[in-house]
Amino acid sequence: MWANNLRILGVVLGTLALYTLIANKIPQVQSEVPHALTLGANVTPEQLVSAGDQLYHGAGGCTACHGLGTRAPNLLTDEKGQGPIGARCGKREPGKDCKAYLYESLTNPRAYVVPGYEPIMPDMGRILSPQQIWALVAFLESNGGTVDVTGSDIPPSSTTSTTSTSSTPSAGIAGGSTDPMTIIRGAGCTGCHKIGGEGGAIGPDLTHVGSRLSANLIRESILNPDAKVAKGYEKFKGIMPKMFGNQLTAAQLEALVQFLASHK
Amino acid sequence: MADGMLLLQAAADTAGAYRDFPLIGSRQAIWIAAEIHLMFAAFVLGVPIFAVVAEAIGIFGKDQRYDRLAKEFTRLLLIAYSATAIWGAVFVFLLSTLYPRFWAYMTAIFGPSMWVYVSIFFFESFTLYLYYYGWDRWKYGRAKIGHWCLGILLNIWGTIVMFIADSWLTYMMTPPRDITPETSPTSIKIWHAILNHTWMPINIHRLIGNIVFGGAIVGAYASYRFLAARTDDERAHYDWMGYVGNFIAMSALIVLPFAGYWLGREIYQYDQSMGITMMGGFMSWLWVIQAFLIAVLFLAGNYYLWVGMGRIPGAERYRPYTKWLLLVLVLGALVWGTPHTMIADSRELAAMGGSHHPLLGALGVMSAKNTAVNLMILSTFLSFLLYRRANIRQVVPWAKTGTRIQAGMFVIAAAIVLFFGIRGYFVEAIVRIGYSVYQVGAVLACIIFVTVIDVLMARGAQSLGAIQWGKMPPRSQYALFILAVTFTWLMGLMGFARSGIRQHWHVWQVMQDTTPYAATPALGYAAIMISTCVLIFLSLVGFIFWLGGLAEKSTFVPSTVEAPHVGQ
Repeated sequence: MWANNLRILGVVLGTLALYTLIANKIPQVQSEVPHALTLGANVTPEQLVSAGDQLYHGAGGCTACHGLGTRAPNLLTDEKGQGPIGARCGKREPGKDCKAYLYESLTNPRAYVVPGYEPIMPDMGRILSPQQIWALVAFLESNGGTVDVTGSDIPPSSTTSTTSTSSTPSAGIAGGSTDPMTIIRGAGCTGCHKIGGEGGAIGPDLTHVGSRLSANLIRESILNPDAKVAKGYEKFKGIMPKMFGNQLTAAQLEALVQFLASHK
Repeated sequence: MADGMLLLQAAADTAGAYRDFPLIGSRQAIWIAAEIHLMFAAFVLGVPIFAVVAEAIGIFGKDQRYDRLAKEFTRLLLIAYSATAIWGAVFVFLLSTLYPRFWAYMTAIFGPSMWVYVSIFFFESFTLYLYYYGWDRWKYGRAKIGHWCLGILLNIWGTIVMFIADSWLTYMMTPPRDITPETSPTSIKIWHAILNHTWMPINIHRLIGNIVFGGAIVGAYASYRFLAARTDDERAHYDWMGYVGNFIAMSALIVLPFAGYWLGREIYQYDQSMGITMMGGFMSWLWVIQAFLIAVLFLAGNYYLWVGMGRIPGAERYRPYTKWLLLVLVLGALVWGTPHTMIADSRELAAMGGSHHPLLGALGVMSAKNTAVNLMILSTFLSFLLYRRANIRQVVPWAKTGTRIQAGMFVIAAAIVLFFGIRGYFVEAIVRIGYSVYQVGAVLACIIFVTVIDVLMARGAQSLGAIQWGKMPPRSQYALFILAVTFTWLMGLMGFARSGIRQHWHVWQVMQDTTPYAATPALGYAAIMISTCVLIFLSLVGFIFWLGGLAEKSTFVPSTVEAPHVGQ
């Protein structure tokens, strides 16, 4: 009887020990918490790059996709002969310097989806603080380019928060401009929608949207994009961000709605 | 109870955000309490499902053996039930005292569902008592049917309780997207919170998982009683019970990956970054460990069947096939466990010569893995089929044709699996994902049609001799223990995966964990915690079952009649 019990105990403990041992022998990766940054106005580029480096390889979770060459472009190594990201970022969008391009790619990643890749990147503004975003920009610039992020880029209100403030009502997109095309570009609409020959083809063409939808329906589509999905675009349901109700000011929203409704 | 809830919430409102637990820390305390509660809960929810099925076979098949088996299942349930409640209470008290602000947040949204939960738990308890203690009183005629309905009612209560609890944890994973950190919890409609993205996939996944887990624990219990048996009759009974437990666990296991696939798809649809964290981020190695564990399950389950064929007259003719089945299982396990997309540092990338290994990279992709797992499922099904028909000779005139059709179905299913597996290398990812549906469809169709043909062919079959229940070497029983330990460990691992993808959030992107324990630990640390939980759980289960053995003799029936195969 006791011999049986000891054998059973041996089988149970041996099996548990084997699984525990194997799990401890493989590479150990811990998911870190994004640490609060306290970067003052006189922060040096080196401090920003160092903080960005830690975020990139740790809590930012960037390496899950970037660097493997399958889900997202390589950033720290050469991509299609164009060099690392710091060397190529300034050439990606005409009229947009490296710093602006990288910042927008992090906070509105669907604005510039590199051809050949899916629009899977999350809005890092929901996950990281503005200080952390700027630290990442500096780190990416340092890979093959020149770091021009300074303390003056970091908004004074972003102190030590580890989370984004993007979900709170703000001064609006594009600095609160009420010019419809500035809003459209600032909100990254052209990353997916085409309007007047400009923009992508992931979402419906907005050039003649006023002939298809009333102002009310356009407003609803901006605030709650999944409420009614345009025919033929069902498989893209869920892709359009739902935060424009928080990001646009009332004046911006109305300017945008009236502008689109007039495009018949 | 409602007053108690209000008191707890009031305490939470006035307290700080967190308190620590002595010696081991608050996260470890919660981890252990939640995990062990969940293991007991899975057992007490899974066992009634097949207890009711066994009772129905006993009633409608007029086979007393199954009725007694169902009663023995329920006896195990009765003893484990109080342990489930105790660990549930430990979990709630730890959560409300160690994480008071988070607890207050959850009660503000889900308070009413918690009251309903407690009420149904109360009904469930008394239904269980009636079901077990009324077994011998309501034994015949309409009373027996009424008793069986009590068993069904017990399952309904249990399922509702689980669905309610699932809504809390799935809300933490996938809160509706319009809920932000600024949203007041009191303004969130409870149904809106319950009907979140992963609620129903988790419900279904757990429902099937509980059956697998319950079957495995029952199998381990039977094997313990088999090894401790003093008479041949007792040994024969527990040998049969172990076989039934293994049959239930392995049958439900075959369906479980499909529910897991649905859950994974919903996670991706909710938030791509969450899905990527789970499958290719810091958790990528977890799936290699999972593949290893499932390989152990397949190998141990098949090994038990092959050894079991030694006690079946006529099974010798199928013995030559086992080495080929073993080969398919081992090769399939190796392919399934091949890593592909891993977080690697520059040194590791340089050593591999790129982001993927030049040789193994091709085996680590979805096409190869899906092909491997589907062939493993087909092989396991073939093992069951050979076991099932081992001691019979079919007498229907179309027996040879039927066997050829069955063989043809296996060949066609394997060919479809291989064809789409190879073709997957030459198409876009979005097309490749769709191929897995054809592969799974071919395997399921094969399983269903071959089983139907086999049942029809077995009509009036000539017996080659009775199964000699009890004539099993002890090593086969240790395979059942390995199955139970592996299923329990796998459950702990998948629980870590599900909970860990929230990373440093109590509620994903809504409420952040700001304790010193907020970082999600690496797999090595998690494995130590999982093993600790499994050890505590199995020790308690062993103790409880031993107590049950003291209180009542087993319900085995002397083997004057041959015990049938499951389903016959």
